[in-house]
Amino acid sequence: MLRRRRRRLLAGGVALLLLALLPLPIGDVYTLNLLILTLLYVGLSQAWNILGGYCGQISLGHALYFGAGAYVSTLLYLHLGLPPSLGLFAGGLVAAVLALAVGWPCFRLSGHYYAIATIVVAVIFYLLALNADFLGGASGVYIPFKGDSWVALQFRTSKLPFVYLALAYAALVWLLAWIMEGTRAGFYWRAVKDDPIAARSLAVRVLPSKLVAAGLSGFATGVGGAIYAQYVGYIDPDSVLAMPLSILIALPAVLGGVGTLWGPLLGAALLIPLSELSRSYLGGSGHGVDLMLYGGLIMLVALWRPEGLLGLFARRGGAGTHAGTA
Amino acid sequence: MTRLVLAALALLLCGARAEAADVVIGAIFGLSGNAAQSGQDAKMAMETEAAIINDAHAPIPMLLGQGGGLPHMGGAKIRLIFADHEADPQKARAEAERLITQDHVVALIGSYQSATAATISQVAERYQIPFLSVDNSSPSLSARGLTWFFRTSPHDVMFTQAMFDFFKDIGAQTGRPVKSVALIYEDSIFGADSSGVQRKMAAAAGIKVLADLRYRANSPSLAAEVARLKAAGADVVMPSSYTNDAILMLRAMHDIGYQPPAIMAQDAGFIDQTFVNAVGPLAEGAMSRSSFALDAVASRPAIPQVNALFRARAGKDLNDMTSRELVGLQVLADAIDRAGSTKPEDIRTALRATNIPGAQTIMPWRGIRFDQNGQNTEANPVIEQIQGGHYRTIWPADVASAKPVWHVGE
Repeated sequence: MLRRRRRRLLAGGVALLLLALLPLPIGDVYTLNLLILTLLYVGLSQAWNILGGYCGQISLGHALYFGAGAYVSTLLYLHLGLPPSLGLFAGGLVAAVLALAVGWPCFRLSGHYYAIATIVVAVIFYLLALNADFLGGASGVYIPFKGDSWVALQFRTSKLPFVYLALAYAALVWLLAWIMEGTRAGFYWRAVKDDPIAARSLAVRVLPSKLVAAGLSGFATGVGGAIYAQYVGYIDPDSVLAMPLSILIALPAVLGGVGTLWGPLLGAALLIPLSELSRSYLGGSGHGVDLMLYGGLIMLVALWRPEGLLGLFARRGGAGTHAGTA
Repeated sequence: MTRLVLAALALLLCGARAEAADVVIGAIFGLSGNAAQSGQDAKMAMETEAAIINDAHAPIPMLLGQGGGLPHMGGAKIRLIFADHEADPQKARAEAERLITQDHVVALIGSYQSATAATISQVAERYQIPFLSVDNSSPSLSARGLTWFFRTSPHDVMFTQAMFDFFKDIGAQTGRPVKSVALIYEDSIFGADSSGVQRKMAAAAGIKVLADLRYRANSPSLAAEVARLKAAGADVVMPSSYTNDAILMLRAMHDIGYQPPAIMAQDAGFIDQTFVNAVGPLAEGAMSRSSFALDAVASRPAIPQVNALFRARAGKDLNDMTSRELVGLQVLADAIDRAGSTKPEDIRTALRATNIPGAQTIMPWRGIRFDQNGQNTEANPVIEQIQGGHYRTIWPADVASAKPVWHVGE
């Protein structure tokens, strides 16, 4: 068991090294943009995976935490001058508090009811933001460009800084998931996921362990939102708080393999380039071919590999590489 | 021998002429996703204008209407590369970058949703490429001190100003001025911005706001809101609504037997042919601001030919949006032609010096001139009224094709 964990960490280190070298030969802005988005979604989806995968609490409202991180870091920067490199932690904290506040009442619901409750709460906040003048309302918030800076996390045209920022983010969330896999809380989560009543009978404290998962997941998602805001330079409720975003955050993990270390990475590496490339090179036709491809792929995976793409490797490589069996 | 040399020379010259490099412009619209129709319409409007500039055809009485490419650039053709932003600001940003770095476009044009123009304009600023916003109406876009941003279209403040200017004019003419209005608007960016400006302008004009109703867009029923409008009994009802809601609103008014003395709409649903077809005679007399007047052929002689070309492509008439998109490309192409160069800095200089009289376009505007924020200050909107089932331009007088029907104060 311990050896397997160490092996995974080693594999993670190798993956990190490879990913760090990957952008160096790429000079093309568009491809780098693709890499940034993919890495960002690796991190976001891993963040979702902590709550939705390991702990089994399916949240379809993670856009709320993403948006909270984006808005908090942006508004702190614009109104109080707090640099976004610090503001992203503030954004993460606010998102974590929100995740706990949502979790406290909603974790008493089980199964589908919890998922529905997360949708409803996220939509409420989306509507509130749409109508809140201090958040810029429906017109959104611009982040003015003030020159290249690691403190303000702004870069005129160079993409490499954001590639490494997104990589660091994805790597740290992965590391968080790896650490939690080995802790008592991590084991509690899997017990809660499998059978909450049986878990409770074995003295697993169900609500607190769900709350820990929610807090960590919310924090990591909020940080991702703050990075997104700095990268794009403009946020509005439709782009950082809307329902489709919640799905996009969950999708890579679901597609790649729920509750696994590598699922979100695999899912995002497949989904994000597919959606971006198909839009850029097929979307102009206006026939929606890109969206059909995207939807078709998800249906195929749902039909043939409902446990996620990682299942493909598990079958070939035999049991043991599949974390779901741990 | 001499003849042969001459012929060879002529051939060479012809060759050189035909080889004048294309001018590549990046056009970013939402071609798929939830506002795909507007993007597809925009694409057809752009293609129509590109064909007018590039192809050989009977001359059209407007700027660059003679065909055969850009005259000051050796007949260079305009080539459009379309990109799809799916109404997502992040994707709009990525596509703008792709067009600039991979396709080496000399200018960008777009983009319908104001949120996407927000990010495209930032990319344009960073890469120092001109971005011409043709149909985005959020006032904040031209209030950020951007130096590569230009907008031919009027923004929401200018649109609403036209309504209140009309109220003043018609009040003076008929002696029956507007004393009160009722605002009703959907709850997205469009309704919020529109009603915000209307509230301020009503206060400035000394007009009372008797009702101020926000409703959820695409709601299943507007009966409660309409009942409150009836109770308020204002002179003019001012809706900011998309098509479905506009239809619902007029039907609900009809159901409770309420006919306001006047309806003055903020474009959108009230200027959509689907709306007129759906409610028929109920829409009679409704007014809306618009930036295009299809019937202003007396003062804008190019309209019939341009509209016929657009119709051949799109199967429908030019409207408020497509006309603005088409003219946007005309203005950009003219700037490139005057610049005589495809260097972004030269194009920007030419854009800044733009001074096109309205009659050289199909728009009822005074003309096109940009202020220091890149906003066209001469883009005065018009007021249209549904008369006999058709949109007729009733104001301002120089482009009007019909007299206003005015029941306020009767």
